[in-house]
Amino acid sequence: MKMKKLVLLLSLVVAFALSGPAYAHFQMIYSPDSVPKSNKIDLKLVFTHPFEAGHTMDIGKDEKGNIHPPIAFGEMHKGKQKDLLKDLKSISFTSLTNSGKAYEAKVKLKGMGDHIFYFVPAPYYEGSEDIYIQHCTKVIFNVAGAPTDWDTPVGDPLPVEIVPLDKPYALWTGNVFRGVVTCKGEPVPDAEIEVEYLNHDVEGNAFVKEAKVEAPHDALVTQTIKADKNGIFAFGIPRAGWWGFAALGAGGDLKHNGKELSQDAVIWVQALDMK
Amino acid sequence: MACLLLALFFVPQAVAHTPLCSCSDEGDGTILCEGGFSDGSSGAGVKMQVLDAAGKVITEGKMNEDSEFTFKRPEGDYTVIYDAGPGHIVKVPSSEIKE
Repeated sequence: MKMKKLVLLLSLVVAFALSGPAYAHFQMIYSPDSVPKSNKIDLKLVFTHPFEAGHTMDIGKDEKGNIHPPIAFGEMHKGKQKDLLKDLKSISFTSLTNSGKAYEAKVKLKGMGDHIFYFVPAPYYEGSEDIYIQHCTKVIFNVAGAPTDWDTPVGDPLPVEIVPLDKPYALWTGNVFRGVVTCKGEPVPDAEIEVEYLNHDVEGNAFVKEAKVEAPHDALVTQTIKADKNGIFAFGIPRAGWWGFAALGAGGDLKHNGKELSQDAVIWVQALDMK
Repeated sequence: MACLLLALFFVPQAVAHTPLCSCSDEGDGTILCEGGFSDGSSGAGVKMQVLDAAGKVITEGKMNEDSEFTFKRPEGDYTVIYDAGPGHIVKVPSSEIKE
């Protein structure tokens, strides 16, 4: 009897130790500046836990450990899409705890206005939840201040997306960022959105060790907000830097390889200090 | 149609907005400038000038209907002037024009 209790206790301890805090996954399309100083920029596409610079996942890995290539990567400028899938190069990205399979792309921002980059990875199998996760992600860079595309939905090939209501590259710290969660162009009522701060700088293909802030508790590592009945959400930005928004399950009830697929819409926005 | 013409005609005088101009070296001996305004309106018809280092006008023209202006890259330093009227002038020095 005593032995049984001990075994139970030990299993519980092991279970807790293995599960760890359930911080949110975020697909990033990262470059340091949303209004770049040069028209040639280096994008890092990393599937990670940005607040903690924690576990970085192998993009497109299935439950058997096979890596599937990305489904879509492109740029929209002045309403025209350009397929950039062939420009993705495989890299290994190092977090504070591991290395994961990621991608990079060297791109040129040709022409004044907004350049929306979008990415659809193959679904990733998350063992701890026994589900597939697919982060349909976009980020918007601007050249010379001309607004051309930022509030226009990319549409196909993004099945789900967050359409901004505030310019994602023209935010002061303290401004409110609003967006509409959409699925195939229709708003997703009451969508749940996870918000995370990119708390570690990126140098080369790695996170730097030093964190910008410390969260007093876990609910502030990944903040969770809700959209209203029109799929619209708002978030006051408390600190300069990159902020990621992931609308969970925006794609509805989906399956992949017979398992639940959480198809999430992700957008990254950058705030700058008034000084 | 009349409205369209009127709109085109009035665009260069859209003084409530910030004028914007950005140029890039096309790598084929030409420079391409794009112009517009901060509200997203076109810069079609805006007066364009290219000055040499001494301030002398070496090329002159207007933004075309696509709000673009192309010219042959001059020797030495130069400045592009996007002239949308008083107080709405953008100067782009050649040092900021890259491939």
